[in-house]
Order: sequence, then C-alpha cells, then structure tokens
Amino acid sequence: MAGSNKTVKTGAAPAGFREAALFTLVTILFGCGIEILTSGGGIDVPGWPFNLIFLLLFGGSIVAVALLFRERPMVSWLGGIPLGLSLIIGIALLSLVGGVLPQEEYPAGSIMTVLRLNGMFSSWPFALVTLIFLINLGLSLVWKTIPFRAANLQFMLFHGGFWLALSCGLLGNSQLERLVVPIYEGKASNVAYDNKTEKVIHLPFAIFLKDFQIDEYVAQFALYDPQHDVVIEPKSKLMPELHKGVKAEWEGIGSVTVLDYLPDALPDAKGMPVPVGDKKGVRFAKVRIDENGKISETWISSGSEALQIKPLFVPMGGYYIVMADGPPKAFRSNVMLIGDGGERKVARLEVNKPVDMQGWMLYQMGYDEKAGRYSTMSLVEAVRDPWLPAVYLGFFMIMAGNVLYFWKGVKKMEEA
Amino acid sequence: MTLVDFPAIAFAAVSCWVAGSLLQIPARSNKALGTLSWVFMIAGTGVLTWFLTSYWIALERPPLRTLGETRLWYATLIPVVGFIVEYRYKIVWLKYYCMGLAAMFLGINYMHPDVFEKALMPALQSPWFVPHVVVYLVAYVMLAASCVAGWHNVILGFRNKRSSKSESMSHYLALLGFVLLTFGLIFGALWAKEAWGHYWTWDPKETWAFISWLAYLGYLHLVARKTDSRKLQWYLGLSFFVLLVCWFGVNYLPSAQNSVHTYSG
Repeated sequence: MAGSNKTVKTGAAPAGFREAALFTLVTILFGCGIEILTSGGGIDVPGWPFNLIFLLLFGGSIVAVALLFRERPMVSWLGGIPLGLSLIIGIALLSLVGGVLPQEEYPAGSIMTVLRLNGMFSSWPFALVTLIFLINLGLSLVWKTIPFRAANLQFMLFHGGFWLALSCGLLGNSQLERLVVPIYEGKASNVAYDNKTEKVIHLPFAIFLKDFQIDEYVAQFALYDPQHDVVIEPKSKLMPELHKGVKAEWEGIGSVTVLDYLPDALPDAKGMPVPVGDKKGVRFAKVRIDENGKISETWISSGSEALQIKPLFVPMGGYYIVMADGPPKAFRSNVMLIGDGGERKVARLEVNKPVDMQGWMLYQMGYDEKAGRYSTMSLVEAVRDPWLPAVYLGFFMIMAGNVLYFWKGVKKMEEA
Repeated sequence: MTLVDFPAIAFAAVSCWVAGSLLQIPARSNKALGTLSWVFMIAGTGVLTWFLTSYWIALERPPLRTLGETRLWYATLIPVVGFIVEYRYKIVWLKYYCMGLAAMFLGINYMHPDVFEKALMPALQSPWFVPHVVVYLVAYVMLAASCVAGWHNVILGFRNKRSSKSESMSHYLALLGFVLLTFGLIFGALWAKEAWGHYWTWDPKETWAFISWLAYLGYLHLVARKTDSRKLQWYLGLSFFVLLVCWFGVNYLPSAQNSVHTYSG
C-alpha cells in the first residue's frame, strides 16, 4: 500500500527487483545454513527484559538510519518497494511451506527437522526474512512520517500498525504463558501445567470448582448401514431429533416413530428403563418400527461408556436403528477464584467468555471427554501475555488505516 | 425451508439467470424485454436470498459454518456484484461471469449435499461469528469478481482490445477485497483470543489466510510501483487460486490434520 509520491528526497535506488529477490533468497539460504549447523534448533526469542531492550535498540536504529542516511542509495534500496515486495514473497513462500507440511514432531535427523520445516515459524530463515522485512517496513514508515503530512496518515497507520503487531507479537512470544489447570468438582487447585516445557507452575490464586455443566443438543436417531459404514439419509434429509411423536421414513425400507423419550434413565433387572435424576442415567427412547407393514415396538438407547451401559440398537432390514447423543452445545464451570491474599471472586468460565484474574485470563478449555456429560473434571487454560496491548494497538492501527484506504478507494472508484 | 427444497431452489435460480441472460439478446432493441431480463436475473438472486433466510430460521443458527453453506452465500452475493458494477459503471459482461460462477457453486452443492445439522460447536457461538465470516464472504466475492475481470482483461489483451475502464474495475474490486480481507483476518485474530486463548497460532487455516493476504498485499505494492497493467491482470487472475486453497483446499493438505478449523469441512 505504499504511495507512489515520495515525500522526502531519497537516494537513487541502486538496484531493482532482481537484486532484491537474490538478497531475499540468500537470506533464506543463510537461515537454512544456520538450521543445518544447529540440527534444526530454531531461534529462541530473548526473554524479558532483553526482548524489550532488543526492540528499543532495533526500532531506534531504524529511525536513526532512516533519518541520518536517507540519501544513501543502499539505505534507500533497503527501505524501498522492490525489497519489500521480495520479502513479502519470501515470507509468503516460507509460510506456504509451513502451511502445507504438518508442523509437528518428526524423528531427529530427518530432512524435516534438520531444516526445521516442521517448525517453520520459529526457524532461522523465517526469523531473518521477517527481521529484514521489519527494517524495510520501518525505514519506509519513518520516511513517510517525518516530516508529518496528513495525506500520509493512512500509510502511517497501516504500516505502523503492521510493524507494531508483527514485532511485538514475535518478541512477546517468549513471555506468553499458556498453562492448563485441571480442576475437580468440590476441590480447589492452583497447580498448572505448561505443555511446552512440561513444567508444573503454581498460580498466585486457586480455582475452586463448584459445578461443571454441559448442555447438549437434542439426541438424534439414524439408520446405520453396517456393510458400508454409513448413515442412510431419511426421506426428509434431516437427521431426526428424538422427541415424542417424531416420525422418520426411509424409502423402501420402513419408518420409525418415537413413542416415548426418557433423557435420563437406567435399565432395571429386566433391562427396562427407569427414569432417574439429571446426569445420572442415559437416554432411552421407545420406538415403533414399521418395516413395510411388519410392526414392532422396542427401546433404543445411546448407552454410556462412563456408566458402563451398553447402547441398544435394533435391526430394520439389513440396517440398524441407532441413537446418538447430541454434540455439546455449551459447557461451563462455576468457580470461586481465591487469591493468595485471600480475595475471592465468583466466576463462570465458558467457551468464548474468558475471565480475568490478577492479569491472567482464564478460559474454559475442556473436560473429561470420555465421561462426556458426566464429567466432574474441568480443564481451564490460564493465559498471560504482557505484550498483548501493543499487538492490539497494532491491529487497531491497521484497521483505522484500512478504513481510510477503503474510503479513498471508494472515492477513486467513483471518479473512475 | 430445508435442504430438501434445495434442488428446486437451485434449479429456479439458475433458470432465472439463464432466462434473464438470453433475454439480453433481444433486449438490445426492445426496452420492455430489457426490463424483463433484469426482473429474471434479480429474481434468481431473490429466490436464493429467500432460501438463505428461511434456511437460517430452520437451522436456528447462521448458515455460515460448513463449506456448503458458505457456497450458498457466494452464489447469492456474486451476481449482486455483477449487477452493481453494470448499474454503476455500465460494464455489462461481468454479470455473466458472476452468474456462471454462482451456478457452478450451486452445482457443487447439488452434487455434494450438506447434512442438515443444527449443531454449532461452543467455540463458534460468539458475537464474532457473523462479522468474521460475512466480512470474509464479501471479500471473497469481491476478489472472485476481480479474478474473473482479470481473466477477461487478459483475453481482451490477446485480442488487442484492452479497456482501461475494465482494467481499473478489476483493480478497485481487488482493493476493496483486500480491505475486507484485512478486517476478516483481524476479526478472526480477536475472536481466536476470546475462544482459544491466543490471537495467532499458525493453524493451517490461519497460515493460508495470511498467505492470501500477502498475495494481495504484494499486488498493491506492484500497483504502487506502476507495474504494467497487463501483467497485473494475470496476477489478479491467479491470486484467487491462493484464496481457493484457503477456502477449501486447505482441508486436503497434509497440515490439515492439526487444524482447529475442521468444523468447516
């Protein structure tokens, strides 16, 4: 989005796209060379406070070079569009490798690990290209900012926001903490696990789980073809929901009508379902099967591995009528957060609704999936990211620049 | 209305577009037929809008989750871009490509029917869901239109019939598409922070969204360098394929097994 009208006099660019492309390629190869020498060790972003010191020195140097040597042809080239474009393509190609190949563990010594193709976004080639890209972006930003002209506001916001979000996002990564805290109903815990470093960390507060709840979508029934391992679509093309009175038809096979539905029941000695309390039983439905005139009535059930109750399904033709629990609609933990200083906070953790506690954001992450709706364990993720405000400032600057760009674009389009 | 009615709706929409397009031939000399042609073409899109609305009600959630559902939106919105371009800028050919693309999307949905599925996983139940997906949808629609305009311009170039009006059209569609693409990307990041704890995790879908964004960022810098517009038409024509990988191609890549975006498959 660089404007074509230069606001300050810059040196004549000594080289164009070819040199820029070659430079980018050499940078990538140099990065690959480091990976080979370190057996794919990748780059470690410096931790606090060195990441901030690096950022200040790096940013300060860019500003100084941009202002002091703006007329040097080399500096002009370093902050020019040809290099910027080559680096954009370089980042896109490296991202493409990272976006195609699985970013996961591979056996040591394989080409994937030696070149760190399985950890592209923390690899030396990616880091070096991004670093030079930040220099390129930074130089052009300084030139467009000093002297200040309102006409360049859109450029400043977009490029400045991108520089801020990219640099702070990458440098702040060393301070990002994402911890998993398993909590059990009726118990409190401050023990958190870092999956990356496999370390145990004690949070400055404990989480007491009062109650864990799961809402499920309505259970459904289906006609299962065991020979081809597929579900046969009913005439209505809808997966029938389990409600009293629902009828589903399969052309040429038969129909099923739900006569009764018990969302929580347990089988008695004869196998007949008896209603029990909430979350204490499994789903049962009494169905009438009409197999082209041959009528029968029977119970079906989804069963439960957690309660060790086998599912009940019935044959119809060469197929089976089976019942499936609905997928989870919502799950939440009602908790009490207890600080080390004794302060207490009642909170409800739910997906998409994190809660803040002493600078930590707490997320409803998961539960015991094997137990499903009977789970009494909740997994909470505690996240701390001190660099987030800087990254968000970058995002909002990009969006503000975008609004101006959109407005300018529409105006030019009107004139076209 | 549910997917049972989809084949009839798709047939009605495509029939309207075909009838409207055919009527454009006699419409050159007959104003009344011209109006009738537009009634048909707009009716095609109207039928789809009606279906989308009633499908939304029947689903009890926005029909924006599966690939089939997003194709329905493209099929509804792409012709609208063609109509607006003709109304505002008197460029008549774009609408035919747009209706053709829309018919193709309806055809794909007919061949690979979705399952009527009301469930929306908890992570998708967020105020960000509709803005994030809709902004992306409109961006893709703009960039698809810019892609077909690009190819049209390439063909015009071969026939020595270049049109600067038509080339600036593909450019502005790409420009507006890029702006919306940026919003979609950032909305996605802000939402990811709320749902999954971090704004960027290099998930394959995120990575491809970033690559497609870079592709159009590169385009705008080529424009700033005053690159030959003929080359830019090729660029626009080809860039859309990167978006297609991001839209559904990513599901077939080796990296997709680790994606958190599997619900869209």
